Amino acid sequence: MQTAADWTKTGVKGELTYATFGCNVFQEANFPTPDRVTPDVNVERHMDVSLNLPTPDGKTIRVWTFTDPLAATPALRQASYPAPLMRFRQGQIVHSTLDPKKNAHTLHHHGIEPTTTNDGVGHVSFEVNARYTYQFRPHRAGTFFYHCHRNTPLHFEMGMFGPLIVDPPEGPGTLFSGGPKYDVEKIWAIDDMDPRWHTLDHSSGMCGEDVGLNRFDPKYFLLSGVFNNKTTTDKRAVIEAKVGQTILIRMINASYSVLETTLSLPGVCHGMDGCALGLESWNAPLALPANRPFIISTAQRRDIIIKATAKGVFPVRMRFLNWVTGQVQDSGRGIIDTRIVVT
Amino acid sequence: MNRRKFLMVSTVAASLASIPGMASAQAANGVFDLTIEPVDSEMIDGQFVFSLMFFNKSAEGRPVLEVTEGNVVTINISNLDTRPHGFGIPGIPTASIASIPAGGTATVRFTAPVGGSYLYIDPTLAPLNRIMGLYGAFIVKPKLGTTLAGSATPFSRASHTPALAAVFDAMGTHKRFPGNKWIPTDPERDKLWLFSQVDPLLAARVDAGEVIPPASVVPSFVPRYFTINGLSGYDAAPHKVDETTDWTKGAARIMPHGRQGQPTLIRNLNAGLCTHSPHIHGNHVFKLSDSNASGAVVCAASSYELDAWPLAPLSRQDLLLPFERPGDTIIWPPVDEPFPMRYVMHCHTEMSQTAAGGNYPMGLVTHWEMTGAL
Repeated sequence: MQTAADWTKTGVKGELTYATFGCNVFQEANFPTPDRVTPDVNVERHMDVSLNLPTPDGKTIRVWTFTDPLAATPALRQASYPAPLMRFRQGQIVHSTLDPKKNAHTLHHHGIEPTTTNDGVGHVSFEVNARYTYQFRPHRAGTFFYHCHRNTPLHFEMGMFGPLIVDPPEGPGTLFSGGPKYDVEKIWAIDDMDPRWHTLDHSSGMCGEDVGLNRFDPKYFLLSGVFNNKTTTDKRAVIEAKVGQTILIRMINASYSVLETTLSLPGVCHGMDGCALGLESWNAPLALPANRPFIISTAQRRDIIIKATAKGVFPVRMRFLNWVTGQVQDSGRGIIDTRIVVT
Repeated sequence: MNRRKFLMVSTVAASLASIPGMASAQAANGVFDLTIEPVDSEMIDGQFVFSLMFFNKSAEGRPVLEVTEGNVVTINISNLDTRPHGFGIPGIPTASIASIPAGGTATVRFTAPVGGSYLYIDPTLAPLNRIMGLYGAFIVKPKLGTTLAGSATPFSRASHTPALAAVFDAMGTHKRFPGNKWIPTDPERDKLWLFSQVDPLLAARVDAGEVIPPASVVPSFVPRYFTINGLSGYDAAPHKVDETTDWTKGAARIMPHGRQGQPTLIRNLNAGLCTHSPHIHGNHVFKLSDSNASGAVVCAASSYELDAWPLAPLSRQDLLLPFERPGDTIIWPPVDEPFPMRYVMHCHTEMSQTAAGGNYPMGLVTHWEMTGAL
């Protein structure tokens, strides 16, 4: 049951205070989506805390994620890390419903530009403790992601994120209308994990306790859900293409490191943070020469086109750099190696 | 939560109480009189941390020094600390004082370079004195900043690139940007985000008189507070604004505010030791400029639209927040949902969203407000 909108109980018209920013943030159970219209597409996400990933050193690490209750098969409805892909067409009216099932959370569709209420930040709107339908209509084709924006340092680190792709009206195979076409698509969701953080509780630190969320010392490094001991072989990480094909890499830096990437094939960046390059007069696609490292910081995305012109195995290296020292994390072990295999 | 009023109380002059207002300092005849002083600085959670700060005559901490290209600038500095200090502006080699003894004074005179956003710092014992708090913004207005098509910009025409001119010319004329051009004389259209961090343990060691080897600062730095213009979290945005709001100082200098179609400059500087990844909601920003290795202002050859951007220590970037219609809204202007639209800006390297190890979101976060449609 949806209730009538009472904006005074939200960050929209309620009094913003020190408490409503953090310890006592606005929460709503069944807030009615303002200016609700009939959607073209519905997605839904529940929260899940059942996942424990086996780590390369023989331990397990707890992650939290979102599940997709509307997925076609029971297998696809299981918890996964990262959370399942959302994929829309440019111009579709999207209803993205969050039903946390436990505690309060939000969905922030990162890079999407909706109204405040549909942006998923509790202290300027509300957190969702029962059910809310976020509404927006993506006007840009490109690479985005979604994540929980409650106690964000912890919830994003715990795994509560998934990729979000907006295809142009012509559908997958074209990055954006008027932009490059591609044959092979790979989402690289790049992450690091500090196991100490993964023992904390949902609301840790929010009422002022020192839980050490200012210190992040990652021990695990993952590419699209694959720990870095398997990233040169696991098909979720490795790119496979045939000579003559065009590869699109959608990079999402979901880590808390400064990510330095070196491709051994030349590429061209055609999209940054969901924005097409070269359509308007103030910017142009950016060449990424082979073997020249480039940096992306947390939450940045890059859409990179690579032409597979010759057979071979082409290494890719990602180095996770500490935000203060600039050194490779975990005493030099914070590196992901993977490959582009052209046959 | 026993949270006291945000104050900074000088340990030197007990009667002096001040916030880090970062007010604009207008130089009389191009002369600024600054002091360097030790202060006990209140953090967002009520803890006091020893720090060092530049002040001007009005006792406002970290004054924003604003000058015009080509003018002669004189900066007199009195060092009221018990330790020697210095002065420098990366990118302006002539604006340098190698050392000012404890209790001493010094003067530097130089000609203001091309328009853009600069940092003044104490570069001695680098990066120790800077991270202890000795930093501020030095803003140079261009003598001739308009594009060939007549659009005002914050950069000298000689520095312009075709991309930069295209962005400023598009505001108010391109079909995507109905509304106004950027207005250089309107303080509401000129925002400052000067980031830094605070490590209380390091501060306590300095306060206790310990000699800190400068090379040890970065490897041992554990920031516990994350600031914009010296403020954090709830304090980093004004929560009531009206016609009396002074947009040139305090939290109002941080928070972009206006109607759709009022593009706003954001001067984005990092005085700290962390590489931040600021992320903005609601609109993407246009990257306008960067600082190069020697500190000079470089306008963008390609103006990328970003929702997150890396900001390394000492780097300075100017951005344009277009205040365009949030592009993924459906009903515009909204009927059910009231203005203002309020969108956060926060560093996405989320350790920065904390204070004292928790307290989300009392770190490097503010928001911007769109008060109405065109």
